[in-house]
Amino acid sequence: MISLPPNERDLHAYVDHQLLESDRRVLETYLAAHPDVAAQVRAWQQDAQALRASLSGVLQQPANPELDPALIRRRIKHQSRRHFASAAVLLIAVSLGGIGGWHAREATQPTMLPMADAMQAFRLFAQDGIMPADYNAQDSSTMQAWLDRYFNQAHRLPDLSQAGFKPVSGRLLTTEQGAAAMVLYEDPQGRRMSFYIRPPGPENGFLPRGSRSADGLQAEYWSGSGYNYAMVSPVGQLTPQTMKF
Amino acid sequence: MHELDEQLRELIPRMRRFAVSLTRNASSADDLVQSTLERAIIRWADKRIEGDLRAWLFSILYRQFLDAHRRSRRYARMLDYFTGRDDAQPSVERTVMAQSTLQAFDKLNTEQRALLLWVSVEGLSYKEVAVILEVPVGTVMSRLSRARQALRQLSEGEIASPALRILK
Repeated sequence: MISLPPNERDLHAYVDHQLLESDRRVLETYLAAHPDVAAQVRAWQQDAQALRASLSGVLQQPANPELDPALIRRRIKHQSRRHFASAAVLLIAVSLGGIGGWHAREATQPTMLPMADAMQAFRLFAQDGIMPADYNAQDSSTMQAWLDRYFNQAHRLPDLSQAGFKPVSGRLLTTEQGAAAMVLYEDPQGRRMSFYIRPPGPENGFLPRGSRSADGLQAEYWSGSGYNYAMVSPVGQLTPQTMKF
Repeated sequence: MHELDEQLRELIPRMRRFAVSLTRNASSADDLVQSTLERAIIRWADKRIEGDLRAWLFSILYRQFLDAHRRSRRYARMLDYFTGRDDAQPSVERTVMAQSTLQAFDKLNTEQRALLLWVSVEGLSYKEVAVILEVPVGTVMSRLSRARQALRQLSEGEIASPALRILK
């Protein structure tokens, strides 16, 4: 219940239709008898009305497609996947660092098993499939072009089409040795193998051609043209035909 | 299709209007709306729904604007505005409208513009505004009162000031 004469707050509440119905009537009666206060109130009402009129046109703007919520939602999802991916990449680096550190303490072994990161990457991206690819190939030539954007004059992607394997997707990674990439091959049966490339690292750790297996994965590795390479696949999957790279 | 998207879509014109009234520039207003939508979508999961979506969105937008204002870096176009280069293009509707009121409105400070838009144009309750600004309702009312006086004085060219009435 308002008291008379009304204080300024009551007058504003009247202008903004925020008074109780009974109070509103009391105030209207008061205003009828006090033209100077009524004029003040009317001026506020007119300002509010003018403001509504002035700003109503802005509501009619043509829609901006950039502001579509579904689009923004997709973009956010994409970004968080990217964050997730970089977190996983970091994980590779950390776990390899851990192995490296452990071996360093042993001091009798070489710092790291050759191309352990290639096998780690295969496990993460090809077997667990937890991350989307950075690049999906239309055919092997576009995949090569994608790879050439990041690696200068490196060995060509092996052609495994004889064995039915085609490059399907690529992923970029960061490792302690520098930027790496993994290209995933698939055959019509859905079997997978990967081509992995990265720089040899600051200590120029070039590798003699060799192979090793660990935890059900087989890696063939070699060096050339300034990079280290590995082909990784599940143990027993490699056929003699696919070995030509 | 997410349930929120449809509701957001309906409110976008109002968000753009509020953003324009803060930035006075259509393209920086849309940048502001876009970052508001991003934030709203991300925060939606944690939001304890109370009160209406519109007031919640306004409060996010207002915060974003103030942050941008403070940092003044993120929104390069806003920076232009804040450093005094007034490149706000007079749009068709602006020239047609009640010029004096709008010109006066544009001269008010940020909070006063927001207050008048929320209360006079959008019809938010004092309570909703109090929640947005995180101040008591009484404070909202006294600030609103000052904003109205300022608008009045500016649009009348500061002639009929309340001081005259007191002297009378």
